[in-house]
Amino acid sequence: MEEMREATASERERYYRDEWTSQNLPDYIMHTLSLREFGFDHKGTGPSDRYNQFMTPDMISDYLKERHPYAVYSSVALYERPSERKKWLKSEVAFDIDAKDLPFKECDCTGGGVCEICLENARKVTEEFGKTLSSNLDLEDISYVYSGRGFHIRISDESVMGMGQAGRSQVVEYVTGGVVPSDFTLSLGYSKVFRKRVKRTFEKLDGEKMISEGLRRESVKRIMEEKERVINLIDDGSIENIRDFEGIGPKSFKKLLDLLTRLNSECADGKVTIDKKRILRVPSSLHSTVSRKCVEIKDIKKFHPDEAVPNFLKK
Amino acid sequence: MSSESYAAVLNPFSEEGKQIVQEAPPFDSLPKSVVERAVERVDWEAGSEVKVGFSEEEVRRETLSFYLMCQSIASVSYPYSNQVQEVIEVSKRTILYRMYDLFKRGEENLCLGVVERDFRVRGLDRDEGVRLGSVDIPQQDIYKLRDLELRKDGIDPDRGEINNEILPQYFPSYAVRWPDLVPLIEHRDLDLTKQYIVEGWALITPKNLWTLFANYVGGMMEDYISDLYDKFSESGPPADILEEVGERISESIPDEVDYGKAGGFESEELKPEAFPPCIEKVLGGVGEGNRNYGIIALLTSFLSYARISPSGKSVNRVADFIDDMSVVEDDIVPLIFEAAEKCNPPLFEDQPQEKANVYYHMGFGMTTKPRMKDSGKTKWYSPPNCRKIKTEAPSLCRPVDLCSEVKNPLTYYYKSLSKGKESEGGD
Repeated sequence: MEEMREATASERERYYRDEWTSQNLPDYIMHTLSLREFGFDHKGTGPSDRYNQFMTPDMISDYLKERHPYAVYSSVALYERPSERKKWLKSEVAFDIDAKDLPFKECDCTGGGVCEICLENARKVTEEFGKTLSSNLDLEDISYVYSGRGFHIRISDESVMGMGQAGRSQVVEYVTGGVVPSDFTLSLGYSKVFRKRVKRTFEKLDGEKMISEGLRRESVKRIMEEKERVINLIDDGSIENIRDFEGIGPKSFKKLLDLLTRLNSECADGKVTIDKKRILRVPSSLHSTVSRKCVEIKDIKKFHPDEAVPNFLKK
Repeated sequence: MSSESYAAVLNPFSEEGKQIVQEAPPFDSLPKSVVERAVERVDWEAGSEVKVGFSEEEVRRETLSFYLMCQSIASVSYPYSNQVQEVIEVSKRTILYRMYDLFKRGEENLCLGVVERDFRVRGLDRDEGVRLGSVDIPQQDIYKLRDLELRKDGIDPDRGEINNEILPQYFPSYAVRWPDLVPLIEHRDLDLTKQYIVEGWALITPKNLWTLFANYVGGMMEDYISDLYDKFSESGPPADILEEVGERISESIPDEVDYGKAGGFESEELKPEAFPPCIEKVLGGVGEGNRNYGIIALLTSFLSYARISPSGKSVNRVADFIDDMSVVEDDIVPLIFEAAEKCNPPLFEDQPQEKANVYYHMGFGMTTKPRMKDSGKTKWYSPPNCRKIKTEAPSLCRPVDLCSEVKNPLTYYYKSLSKGKESEGGD
């Protein structure tokens, strides 16, 4: 993987002058450009320049080529008056899967750093979420975006764009597997989604994490010894049988289940989905902290972060 | 009268219902029978008194009395007051009873016709095996869903003593597009994770379909009364009779307080030993991603409500409950600032403007020098529900046993205090 480092001001300038064109903006932004609020980060300190509106692709193009900001954002919301953030019309439903914030780590990355392994884990989570959204919830107009250090899912399906916070919050719970279902054993529906998420999280969970979260050392030892059996029990919906393992009672089982459910929730930043007025990085813009293009993904199954390396970083 | 016009009885917000209201005389000229019905309906039990015949006159009287009740209660009560909630609950029960009654009398299609105006519904034929889109629903899932519904009503499906007459109500017989159910989610009347959704269709039993629809109308009532309240707050109720009827309705509903359900506490010093785990965690300082949410949205609202202990009714301003700023400055704010300092990085170091946001969330406006007379300048935010915390800041949620009994950190606090008091009493 190409080095991730901060882009210089001249590299930003080159990027927007030589590599970026308004044609790179995805259709769902291009077709609603004048209804969105745009935000800019000019110094790398956060998007403090808000309430901007562009009526045409040429206007935003001129702005970016002249100002080559550190980061470019646009709202998931569409407004009648975006420059005042007033007269809200509707909002995309967005998921933010940040590779650095995933609750399971299989590498040595710390702080804000990400590597190929974290990004691949985030990509897989994104793919899982996308599948639930499209197959199980039957939503259309789902776009995937590589944001530089993680992924966004952006849903422009009319049937959900008018949803308020409570609806969005429940969609996050459903898709992440953030709530224990009423019945683990149903073949389809949320029960199946939950089993899949719990299985994934459990497979990646290490014993030390369980101990640090309050499970007894002996219980954890037993669970790890029986890892394959636990996975099979999750698969066939008999997860509750874990509490019959020797040395594991209802209390330890509940703690384990609560932990797995919470870690499921932490795979996406729920605040982003719930916030109808959130601004997200604009696909095609430059993530200057890591020198990566924020790109719309054609096929999430096949995506590799190398597709997002800007020309100025290529040898 | 056609069965279509009967829609106004099952959903007063249907086009037919609105039409009846548009053609009605002014409130002051409504017949006495309509006025009395508007008052009486709050006392209705689910029984024969809620039934409405098919005659034009009966449908009209029923619809007008419904609207008169809504307008009247909105002219004397706050949108989320006990009175308004009770009016909504009674109305939901009324609609539910009517749907059941019609279903039992073989008028399923009439009910479905009304429901289908707002929900996309498919009937499922169990004889041929249930199929949704391209998916065959396993038969054992159908029986499991039935048993879940039976257990919810306290019926043990394993005991084999189920009345065959009621059984059909517990079998998934319909499928509804889940986005059509979003209004119910927004009003907290439905959990998405409790639905059995396949290719966008949620399987629903007849019993649940009628309940969902009654709740759906209840949600519309909540919005309607809330809008009316805003309108009347600006210009006053359009007729004196509304206040008169509103007072009569209000008198027949006990004036309970919401948070008092856990014990009815007076404003007193904070008891940190009764704080829920999420609050304890925030008090110890939180990391960068959760600082603003933890300190401002959660801790500030929790501590201010817990310390000032307002009743659940018409909570508007801190100044309605205390007259001394020292409660805010000495008992609440130091704990918030201390927790902010313990954050990593300390919250006010890189975001000093958030100090003003603390007072903003307590209703004093964006200021660092609040005065009691500023109270009410902005909204006094109440603590987010557990569910919201779990979604927005999952790492703050480390539930303990008591958490499973509550839905809000504040209720945890009151419940915990109440348990403490009970055990003290037992010593």
